[in-house]
Amino acid sequence: MTVKIYTTTHCPYCVMAKEFFKKNNVAYQEINVEEDEKAAEEMVEKSGQMGVPVIDIDGTIIVGFNKPAIERALSKAK
Amino acid sequence: MEATHTTYDAIIIGAGAAGLTASIYTARKKMATLVISVDIGGQTNLTEHIENYPGYFTATPGFPSGPRLMQIFDEQAKHFGVERIGGKVSQIAKKSSGFIVELSNGERYECKVLILTYGKVQRMLGVPGEDKFLGRGVSTCATCDAPLFKNKTVAIVGGGNSALEAAELLAKFATKVYLIHRRDAFRADEITVDKVKALKNVELMLNATIADIKGEKFVSGAVVQNVNTNARRELALQGVFIEIGYIIDTALVKDLVELNENNEIVINDRCETSCEGLFAAGDLTNVPYKQTVISAGEGAIAALSAYNYLQKLEGKPAIRSDWG
Repeated sequence: MTVKIYTTTHCPYCVMAKEFFKKNNVAYQEINVEEDEKAAEEMVEKSGQMGVPVIDIDGTIIVGFNKPAIERALSKAK
Repeated sequence: MEATHTTYDAIIIGAGAAGLTASIYTARKKMATLVISVDIGGQTNLTEHIENYPGYFTATPGFPSGPRLMQIFDEQAKHFGVERIGGKVSQIAKKSSGFIVELSNGERYECKVLILTYGKVQRMLGVPGEDKFLGRGVSTCATCDAPLFKNKTVAIVGGGNSALEAAELLAKFATKVYLIHRRDAFRADEITVDKVKALKNVELMLNATIADIKGEKFVSGAVVQNVNTNARRELALQGVFIEIGYIIDTALVKDLVELNENNEIVINDRCETSCEGLFAAGDLTNVPYKQTVISAGEGAIAALSAYNYLQKLEGKPAIRSDWG
C-alpha cells in the first residue's frame, strides 16, 4: 500500500490527516506543494481541484481530511 | 466508534472546545454521554499558534498547535468514557421528557438532556459560480491554500481581521491581490490594515462586492460590482478567497429555542436555553467574545447545569455552588 499526502506548511487539516495516519500506524509520504511547484501541478491534475490536503491511497484520491473516506480506502488497500 | 446505547443521559452536538469540555464534565458525573460531530476541534483547529489558552505558550515544552490542543481535549474525553460518533444531525425532536436526535444517515439517538455546542459555519457570498468552483479556485481557507496561488492573481472578499490577514499572506505568493470589501472602511485591527495598505501588490476595492465567479474547469475571472453605483468590472484572476465571517446554522433549533437579533441561541448564566432540558455553550450562543478558553468554560457550566437538571428530575440533591 502506498499513501501520499499533498500538504501545505500551515494547513490545519493536513496536520489532522497526518496525525490520523500516525495514530493508526499508516506509513505515508508527505509532499509539501508549497516547496515543490511541480508536485502542486501533479496534485491539481490528480484531484481536479486546488485545495489541500489531497490524499492518494493506492490511486484512490481523497480531497480534504475526510476520515470515513480515508478509512474506507485504507481497508480496501490492505 | 459504534454507539453502544440508543438512549443517553446527555447528547452533545459539536466537538469543539465547548462540546468536548462539556463531555468531560458529564462523563465525570457518570452520565452516559454521546458526542455527535462532523469534526473534532471546531474553530480552534484553524489557529496554528494558540498563545492565549492558559497552561501553554510558546516557551512551554510541547506547546501544541490549535488542532493538537483539541486532540488532547478529545483524548481526555475518551479517557473518561465519552462515546463520540461522526455525523451530521438533521433533526432534533422534543419528547415529553428528553429529546430524539436524528442523523442525516437515518440513525436515531435519544437523550434526557441535550447540549448544543456546534458553533458556527463559514458565511458564503451566495453568488453564481461560488459552489461550482469551491476547491477549483474558490477557497475559504487562505492558511491552507495560499501557497497554491504562487504567481497567480487572486481576490479576497471581506473586511475583517481574517480577510486582511489572508491578504497579507496571499501577497507573499500571488503576483496581484485584490481586496474587495463592501463598506468604505475595514473592520480589521488598524495595525493589520496599515500592513496591508503598504503592500505594493495589493489593490483595495472598497464599496464593492463580487457578483459572479466565472471559469470553465477552474476560476478564470470574477465580476466586481460597486455597491453604490452598481458599475461592474470584470477581473481576470485564478483565485477567490471568501473571508466574510461566520454564521450560526439555527435551522435545527429555531422552533425550539429563543434566538437573538444576531441569530445566536440565547442562554442565561447557567447555559440554559428557553427550552427545558436543552443547554447550549460556545460560539453559537449570545455569550460575547468567541474564544477557546471561554467556550471551554461555558461547556463546563452547561454540563454541570445539565447534571443538576437531571438530579432534580430524579428527586436527588443538586450540587451546590463551589465555595457556597
